[in-house]
Amino acid sequence: MLQNENAIQTINLTKTFKSKNSNPNAGPFRRKTTSVKAVDHLNLEIKKGELFGLLGPNGAGKTTLVKMLCTLLPPTSGTALINGFDIIKQQMQVKRSLGTLFSVGERGFFWRLNGYRNLEFFAAIYNVPRQKREERIMEVLKLVGLENSAFELYQKYSGGMKRKLSLARTLLADPPVILLDEPTTGLDVISSRNVREFVRKTVQESGKTVLYTTHYIEEAAQICDRIGILKQGKIVALGTPNALRAKIKNEELIYIVVEEIKRSQIEKMRSLDGIIAITERTAEDLMPNQTGLCLELENVDQLPSIFGFLFGQKIKLVNFKREEPTLEDAFIELTKRE
Amino acid sequence: MLEEFEKIWYFMKRDIISFSTYKTNIIILVLTALFGALSFAYLGSNASVQSVVQYYGTNYTTYLLIGLAFSSYLTQSLTLVQKTINPWALEEVLVSPTRLSTFIIGSSIWSFIWSTAIVAIYLVVGVFIFGITLSINILGTVIVVALGISAFIGFSMIGSGILIVTKQGDPVTALITIATSLFGNVLFPPQVLPPVLQAISYVLPQYYFFKCIRLMLTGSTIQIILPNLEILSLMCAILVPLGYAIYSLCLKSARKNGTLSWF
Repeated sequence: MLQNENAIQTINLTKTFKSKNSNPNAGPFRRKTTSVKAVDHLNLEIKKGELFGLLGPNGAGKTTLVKMLCTLLPPTSGTALINGFDIIKQQMQVKRSLGTLFSVGERGFFWRLNGYRNLEFFAAIYNVPRQKREERIMEVLKLVGLENSAFELYQKYSGGMKRKLSLARTLLADPPVILLDEPTTGLDVISSRNVREFVRKTVQESGKTVLYTTHYIEEAAQICDRIGILKQGKIVALGTPNALRAKIKNEELIYIVVEEIKRSQIEKMRSLDGIIAITERTAEDLMPNQTGLCLELENVDQLPSIFGFLFGQKIKLVNFKREEPTLEDAFIELTKRE
Repeated sequence: MLEEFEKIWYFMKRDIISFSTYKTNIIILVLTALFGALSFAYLGSNASVQSVVQYYGTNYTTYLLIGLAFSSYLTQSLTLVQKTINPWALEEVLVSPTRLSTFIIGSSIWSFIWSTAIVAIYLVVGVFIFGITLSINILGTVIVVALGISAFIGFSMIGSGILIVTKQGDPVTALITIATSLFGNVLFPPQVLPPVLQAISYVLPQYYFFKCIRLMLTGSTIQIILPNLEILSLMCAILVPLGYAIYSLCLKSARKNGTLSWF
């Protein structure tokens, strides 16, 4: 075991899938084998106790990465360390250090068993000591809020309850590192929020390291310490949610609401120095004589001349605010860059 | 009305197209029907009854009952590993600190207990309703059953390994099932078959298993079945490691290609 401050570390981790052309018209001898790099020489370090969000569009390589980290999928090249253990050479130690929740994790449960009996089975295969098993099962059931449904059949659980039981299973062996692959996919708003709050609370209180993959941007922004944006198997941006927003903040966005402005006056405004673009924005709270304008400026120094123009034209300024780019803006911008 | 007929046609068309994509399965179904019909031709025939008396010294009812009871045992063993490869359960277990061998044995144990109960029901019904006479050599029976199950788990691992990779019909399990009914010494002694087909029986562990188990339940000693037991042991020694190697290899291949949960 290597001693370092990283709970998860990938070293040039790569996974290439080979697939045959599935076009039936191609004929059996004309089907070409193509290679797709799902994860491409990935170097990532996640510190102990960190809640790290991995964000990426569908097919970015998030699930492939999680499957490699939990030893389910062997890498094509490179390796990774979990809690200091190598995912290729020390698989048993890696498995003992990990709790993994797959996006379709509910299917691993036994429908004819109740929640408690399901967890009892998984506690055994995760080496939870027999004398502590019952106590630990009730502890995790309580943590996820299922203590009153412990003896109900799994098949009667709702979607949210099933996901909670998956989370409980992930925590059963009290692993130091947790991999959560899209844990809120398919859940309603309230269940999703419960899962997020639970993850945040658990991490803060127990010092566990969590790799949290999602394609819900604001979800990652709400709970993660740092976020990595994955695109075609590569990290294209890495940092805190604020740092990622700042990455695309090359220009200033100002939103103004004015009264009785004519189209010709908007055109004149466009020709002012320092204005990159003006877009009209519709909003429900605007009065019929009001117009919302989003001004894209080179920098805020242009503001006095804009205000001067408005006063000169006797246009009444009703509202004014400086706009911050959202993480969604950052995500779209960063994933569309070549 | 015409629209309804059109809908029915599209239901059928959907099923035909889906069905035709499982080519291995179609071949297996046809072969099963064919060999099943053939095996019934020999069932209870004069030749079969006479052969039973000649080779086993028992009546045909005893022969058939023991055959049916223990064939259900082998069928369970044959499908055992396959039942464990539910792709999602498999992923959940493979990420836990659990060995593959523990996983296979653990997933199998209940099926064996259940199969034992089924065999017991057959035998109890045979004794109390059909009046068959049993004189059981317990040690010999346990040894033969253990060897029979081991051989079939070998087959089961080979079939399941292939299924993990191909994701379609498992030809090994299907062929073994067909072979058991026709050449396996279950419903009639293979001695009633033409010599060419008899040769197939002698290379199958089923033949030796059923021969040994019948003798162990009807008063013979282990010494008498020893030559057959040696052949059965040899087959186990080949099938079990071979099956495990093929299963591990196919599992490794599916993990490498990321197709473990594709079914």
